[in-house]
Parts: sequence; structure tokens; C-alpha cells
Amino acid sequence: MKILEQLSQEINKCVLCGTCRSVCPTFGVINREPASARGKVALCSAFLNKEIGLSDGFIKQMNECVQCMACMTACPNDVNVPDIILAARAKIAKEKGLPFAKSFILDNILNSERLMPAVMKFASKLQGLLFKGVPEESGLHRRFHLPLIGEKRLVPPLAERFFLEGRKLTEAKGGNGEAEKRRKNLSPIRPFADSPIRIGFFAGCLINYMLPHIGEACLKVLEKAGASVIVPLNQHCCGMPALGMGDVKTAKSLAIKNLEAFEQYELDYITTACATCGDGLKRRFKELLSDEGEDVRKRVESFADKVRDITELLVNELRIQNSEFNRKSKIVNSKSEIVTYHDPCHLRRGQDIADGPREIIEISGAKLKEMRHPCRCCGLGGTFNITNYDFSMAINRSKAEDIKSTGADIVATACPGCMIQIKDGLHHLGINTKVVHVVELLADNIIKQ
Amino acid sequence: MLSKNLIQELTRIIGKENIRTDEEDLICYSYDATNQKFLPDAVVFPKNADEISLILKLANKEGFPVVPRGAGSGFSGGSLPVEGGVVVSLERMNKILTIDTDNLIAEVEPGVVTGEFQWAVEDLGLFYPPDPSSLKFCTIGGNVAECAGGPRAVKYGVTKDYVLGLEIVLPTGEIINTGAQTLKGVVGYDLTRLMVGSEGTLGIVTKIILKLLPLPEATKTMFAIFTDMRDAAETVSKIISSKIIPSTLEFMDRDSIKCVEDYSYIGLPYNVDALLLIEVDGDKELVENQAEAIKKICLDNGAKEIRIAVDKKEAKKLWQLRRAISPALAKLKPNKINEDIVVPRSKIQDAIIGVREIAKKHNLINANFGHAGDGNIHVNIMIDKSDKAEFLRAEKAIREIFELVLGFGGTISGEHGIGISKMPYIGMELSRSAIDVMKKIKQVLDPNEILNPGKIFPRI
Ligand SMILES: Cc1cc2nc3c(=O)[nH]c(=O)nc-3n(C[C@H](O)[C@H](O)[C@H](O)COP(=O)(O)OP(=O)(O)OC[C@H]3O[C@@H](n4cnc5c(N)ncnc54)[C@H](O)[C@@H]3O)c2cc1C
Ligand code: SF4
Ligand code: SF4
Repeated sequence: MKILEQLSQEINKCVLCGTCRSVCPTFGVINREPASARGKVALCSAFLNKEIGLSDGFIKQMNECVQCMACMTACPNDVNVPDIILAARAKIAKEKGLPFAKSFILDNILNSERLMPAVMKFASKLQGLLFKGVPEESGLHRRFHLPLIGEKRLVPPLAERFFLEGRKLTEAKGGNGEAEKRRKNLSPIRPFADSPIRIGFFAGCLINYMLPHIGEACLKVLEKAGASVIVPLNQHCCGMPALGMGDVKTAKSLAIKNLEAFEQYELDYITTACATCGDGLKRRFKELLSDEGEDVRKRVESFADKVRDITELLVNELRIQNSEFNRKSKIVNSKSEIVTYHDPCHLRRGQDIADGPREIIEISGAKLKEMRHPCRCCGLGGTFNITNYDFSMAINRSKAEDIKSTGADIVATACPGCMIQIKDGLHHLGINTKVVHVVELLADNIIKQ
Repeated sequence: MLSKNLIQELTRIIGKENIRTDEEDLICYSYDATNQKFLPDAVVFPKNADEISLILKLANKEGFPVVPRGAGSGFSGGSLPVEGGVVVSLERMNKILTIDTDNLIAEVEPGVVTGEFQWAVEDLGLFYPPDPSSLKFCTIGGNVAECAGGPRAVKYGVTKDYVLGLEIVLPTGEIINTGAQTLKGVVGYDLTRLMVGSEGTLGIVTKIILKLLPLPEATKTMFAIFTDMRDAAETVSKIISSKIIPSTLEFMDRDSIKCVEDYSYIGLPYNVDALLLIEVDGDKELVENQAEAIKKICLDNGAKEIRIAVDKKEAKKLWQLRRAISPALAKLKPNKINEDIVVPRSKIQDAIIGVREIAKKHNLINANFGHAGDGNIHVNIMIDKSDKAEFLRAEKAIREIFELVLGFGGTISGEHGIGISKMPYIGMELSRSAIDVMKKIKQVLDPNEILNPGKIFPRI
């Protein structure tokens, strides 16, 4: 990981033209220069020139970025503003320390194999006390004051059974349980090692703790597409939230742990249904571990080479076909649902994937209706949403309105983070459009067949 | 430095939320697209003309400079607080007030982003043509102050051709309205025209009444590839003399293309020396015919290939590429001396050849692109500021280029304005007495020299 001082050349590439003002979502809400990508680069430049120190104002501006990468894509000089900001955050964390609550969570809970699930489990049992359900939506409102969670936040309930827990149970029952049984009917049983396509599934925290059904949907679709899937149970958080807060140390340690978890198996691909995790696995792990020696470098490269987003894997590698998944094409006169698609920042710009998810929508038999600005950030920005809730929802507002004006029945996306954020935003405006992961559209068709 | 008392006074006028004096905020309002920096003492974010009026009155009383600022995308340093003082950011005054579809006029606040205004009127079937390449982020107020133009100027003119009236706060604090809500109006002197292009030195614009046109039914975008720049220049003259006026006729030379090719890859097969990006608009049928006619002229005059964008998406890509050129030139060398000369259309070829020769003579890297249709060429000399000798050579070259341009009957700035960047050269184009008239106007309106001081006219 490069530190801020090493990025001075990157910072000097900025000619202060202002092009990024047109795309930066934090600027879009605040409408003052310091909130723009250009302003932030100028501040980092001033910091490196010792015109300012790590002042409160500097810290505030560095925190107000959703890491959407829109600036970088628009910039005629390819200035990597999000990385500059991350390096600034790392600098702040290192010199000033993280706020106590944050550092405790990051250090002791997120980074621990046992504690994180245990804490989350505890929380899932307690959530009935802390939150009240919102009847028409699958969400919760908080009842009491909680640190880190804003007043109006609609939180998805923590799952009763976490995704990885569920996996552990099926494995304990021998083999891959349900999925294994189903596959028996399609092809002769073979041990995982002999399978022609071996895939390791990376869940990520949001799927694990909050939206396990997306994980299940992925497994179902992957197996239907002829692949064998393994879910290493000792996998961890991808570390991107920690990195986003400037905690490079935790992010590194998580990267190593995940590397080890997946190296246990002979895998053709590693896949995830979370755009942010995917971006992290593909790109950030390499950066994080770049100064850990030749051996680690080789390992992380071979790991990163295998990573595919789930949509990329299904469309480009497994080449799924319309006929396998489109139930409706078999029913005469059926009306297809209208689906609009939101491009997650870390998929579209982070991984340059735009077509795959759209093809999946078509394959599922639904009709795609584009919104006006599908690539505009939903405002989540990792932990930005927790620390700057109202700000984050202000960014989301135009997304919610955009979705509404398509008149679509469903809004699909390819990242659990975006799903939670979009659901919350729609809820605030009283819009009932259903929010799904594109893979769910395929999985739904399998059950119904 | 402003005294504590003064800051308090300002705070009383504008509210605590709308004044900033922290170092971090001042830094963010110290630069514009010239990549130069001058720290202000405070930044204020007014909501209306009344607040601005109070600020200007205070400035006259206390004698501090006031500098209006839109998006800070200017190329001549107009919004830089070169003598410190208070930056008046118009970012908060960003409402489109009315779009009158019956009378084809609109009223906007100055902080409205040009592109956003264009999309808003296009949704209603209307058209606001001025299209500086910075349209996605520059403000209409800034456009009025600089009289910004763009590729469409060849057919549709520039900002001044669309401004019907203004609300302005004069440097001494009086609020006046100029012009009318109608297309005609000759009551008194034309103060609107005086204000447009005055670079924020004669008043702060707080409302703008704009003329709109009906949105053309169809447009067609194409680009022609040339292996010899002279053929491209010849083609421009031929298109114009064939009495077809395209809505845009843009020129890019070899080095400009090189900088953006990887930004938005279009795949150029030849050893390209120049590109023309051409657009025609109007009725569907007319557009088809004109596109065909232009295609023929290009091919007859040595174009190696001509490609017509199949749909809006492809056209958008081509424009993105064109708009990226200016900032992307930094790939050649870190600093840019950026001139926007204009010559009579028939002299484009001679001008570009002349510029290239001058650059070569002084051993400088030079890239040229721009609005060939109206003779406006962006001449860029790319340098590394830390190389003093190179900088001196560049200054010499600029002078020679201006001499060349004026010799052709042209002008040294078509759209970017004088600001501080071209201040040393203003005397090359304007006579002593013309400058005197302008200075007198400035003196009458701004007797205490508080509004955007240190711009346009060199202090001798
Ligand atoms: C990539 C790029 C491409 C560009 N392409 C073009 C182009 O094709 N054509 C073109 O003409 N220009 C172009 N420009 C230059 C620039 O965008 C224009 O000059 C634009 O009009 C400036 O608008 P702004 O809002 O950024 O104004 P600023 O840069 O903030 O200010 C410009 C001047 O206007 C004054 N001003 C701003 N608002 C007001 C107000 N409300 N009242 C009074 N004075 C005010 C300021 O004091 C200053 O003197 C380009 C710039 C960039 C960075
Ligand atoms: S980051 Fe890029 S787009 Fe933004 S001001 Fe700098 S050069 Fe221009
Ligand atoms: S990453 Fe997104 S939020 Fe952050 S500076 Fe860039 S455009 Fe703005």
C-alpha cells in the first residue's frame, strides 16, 4: 500500500481543471468546492507541502468521500483520487489513531474468527429488543439510541442463521447436503477435487450476516450451471471497511487470513456476489500485501487471478444460457417483469463490469429498463453510511427518484451493500419497488421450474 | 488579512454557515483551472443580490477586494484572489428560476451549471446552444463573465448572443437590471453587452435572462481523418465556402489526439496528422443531405476516412474525447501555456503552420485543437515550469504567435478572457486610447477598485 508521501506524483498529475466536480456525489450534495474531488486533491497537496497539518477540517474532508471512483473515471489525467484519499485516511489513522469505538471493533472483533460471529450472533438475538420491525418492508427501525446507527436508519435484520453457519451445518451432515443431492440427479457424484470446475465462494459480511439468501441463491445457480462450489468456513471479512477507515494493519491481516482460507483448496475460480469484496479481492489484496516479500506476492497474485465477480463468472466463464434459467420463455403469454439495474461503483468502475449483470437480467426472462443514471453512486460508501448517515441518504435521494421514474417492478443490482442502501432510500420516499441481487432472478427461476 | 471585526460584520450579513475562514476552505478557493494559487482571506456563499450588495458596500467602506467565483474552471485566472480579500462563491445561487416555453426564454441564477441547464431545457424540447467544453461543470455566471463559446459557435454564436438581460450588483453595491425580457430593446446604452465578458470586474451577476431556441429535430456527428494537417484546413475552408454551416467544425492535431486516444479509445488506423469532428443539425432530411455533402467534400480534399456516429452513444463518446483534450495535454508536459487565438477562417491553415514553425524554432512542444469553424484555435505550448530557460523561450514564442495572429487580422483571445494570464499582452491588440476608455468605465463603476482588482489591465 502506498503511503500519502509516495503519491505526490499522482497528486501533481491533477491540473485543477474541475472536470470531477461534475461527477463527485459528495460535491453534488454539498455544492461547495472542499467537498469535491478536486478540493480533496488540493488539500492533500497542501498537506504534503506542509501548508496545513492533520487539522479537523482536513480530516473531515477526507472522511467525506464515498470511494465511488467516479472522479477517476471522468478525470482526463487519470488521477486516482480515491486512492489518494485512502492514503490520507491511513495517514490520519496512523498519526491520530482511530476513534476508540472504531478501533476496538476493527481490532478485536472484525479481525477475530470467533468473536465477530459471536458478537453478531449476540446482536441478532438482541435485535428484537433494540429495533422494531417495519411491517411493509423487511427492515427494522431502532428503538433506542445506538452508537453508529442513525435515528432514521432502516436496517435489514441480522439473519437468524448466518450464511457460513448454514454451510457448516450442511457440511456436518456430510458433503454438500441439499445441493449435493440435487446435483446427483444431474451428473455422477464426484469428489470436489475431480470436478471439472471448482469454485470457492467468498461470502463477505453483508451476505453472511444479513442477506444469507443471496449466498444460497449463488450456490444454487452455480451448481445448476455445472460447477462445484466450496465455501471455506474460515474465511473472514474482506477488510475493505477497515481500509476505508484508514486501518491498513487490520486490512492486511484480514487479507492474509483470507488468502490462507482459500489456498487450502485447488480452485479454478474464487467468486463473490459483493462488488466491494470483489474489488478488494482482485485489486486491494495485491496492494496491501505488496511489501510482504516475493513469496506472498506470488501467492496473492495467483489468488487474485482467480477472482471473478459472480456475474462475470456466470456469463463469461460458465456461459449460462437463456434456456437453462428462463422459466417464463416456456410459458406462453407470460408477462415479463420490468427490471431496472443499478451499477455498483465497485463493479462498474472498480472491475469494469457493466454488461454481465444486464445479460443476466435478460437471461432470467425479465425486461431491462435502464434508469437515467445507472452508474451514479447509491451513497453507501462503506462505513461512510454509518458515520455520515444523513449525508449518505442525501446522495441516495436522486437514485431513489431515478428508480421510481422508470416505473420498474424490480430494481436489481450486484452488491448487497447497494441493496441495503437502495432499500433504505426507497423506504424513505415510500416507494415499493422490490430490491434484488441479479443472481436472485436466476435462482428464483430454478425453484419454480 | 481581514480584521476580526470585519469577519464579524461579514458574518452578520451572511450568516455563520455561509462564511469560511479556515485554512482548508481558503485553499479550496485559491485556485482555478490555470493551476495557480492565491489565498483569499475569507469565502462567502451569498443567497441573493441583497446580501452581495451589503458585502460590496462594506468592501467599499473598508477597502478590501471582492472576487466573484463560479466553478473555478476559468483558463485566465479571473476568479483568483490575486490581492487576497473575500471570494464571493456563487455555488449556492444555483436555481433555474423559470423556463418560459411560450416565449422561449429562461431566467437563471448565476451558479447554475451550464450543462444542467441545457439538459433541463432539452427535456422541454428547447435548446441553449453555447457549449464550452467545460459545460458539465462551469457555471452560466462564469460563462457570462467570460462570454464563453464552444464548438457550436460556428453556427449558433456565443454566450453574448443569448443573454437578453441581467440583474447585476455594481461594485459600489447598487443593484441594477439591464436589458429586457424581450428579443428587442434599445432603451439607453446596452449595459448587458458591456457586462457580458467583463470578467467579474464591473459587477456581480445575480440573475440572467437567456434566449432559447427550439431543439433541432436531428443531429449527425462524424469525424474525418487526415494524414496531412493542410488537407484538414483546406477541407474546413471548402465546407464553409460550400455554404453549409455545420453546427460544429472542430479541429484536433496529432499531439492533441495522442493525449486522449487512450482516454476514450477510438482506434485510429493511420498515421494521423489531424482530425475534424463535424456535426450538422436541423430537419432530419436536411441533416442527411448535409452529412452526405460534407462527407464528399472531406473525401475530395484528402480525408483518408470518414466515420459517421451510428447513434447518440457513439456521438457522445466522440465528444467526450474532444472535451478531454485540454486537461489531458498535461501528459505531454506538466504545465501548459494555453492560448485561444482567433483568425479569419480563411487563414486557419497559415496560422497553424505558422504556430508550428514558431514552436519548432524555439524548441517547444506544441499541440493545437479547437473550433476551426470560427477560426478559434487553442494553441498550447507545453512546458515544465521548473525549466526556467524553457519558460523564457515559451514567452518569446507566445509573443511571436500573437504577432502572427494580429497580422492576419485576428484576436489574441476568443473565449478564455484576459484575467491575469494574458494581461501582459493586451497592449499588443488594443490601442492606448481603447484601453483608456475601458479603464475609465471601470473607474466610474468601481471608484475604489475593490471588485476583482489586478485583472485585465496591467498596472503601470
Ligand atoms: C477543460 C476545460 C475546457 C474549457 N473549454 C472552454 C471552451 O470550450 N470555451 C470557453 O469559452 N471556455 C472554456 N473553458 C474555460 C471556462 O470553463 C470558462 O471560462 C467558463 O465560462 C468559466 O466558468 P466558471 O463558472 O468556472 O467561472 P470561474 O472560473 O469561477 O470565473 C471566471 C470569471 O468569471 C467571473 N465570474 C464568475 N461568476 C460571476 C458572476 N456571477 N458575476 C460576475 N462575474 C463572475 C469570475 O470573477 C472570473 O473572472 C474551459 C475550461 C476547462 C477547465
Ligand atoms: S482530479 Fe482530474 S478531473 Fe479533477 S481537477 Fe484534477 S485533473 Fe481535473
Ligand atoms: S471517489 Fe467519489 S466521492 Fe470520493 S472524491 Fe471521487 S467522486 Fe468524490
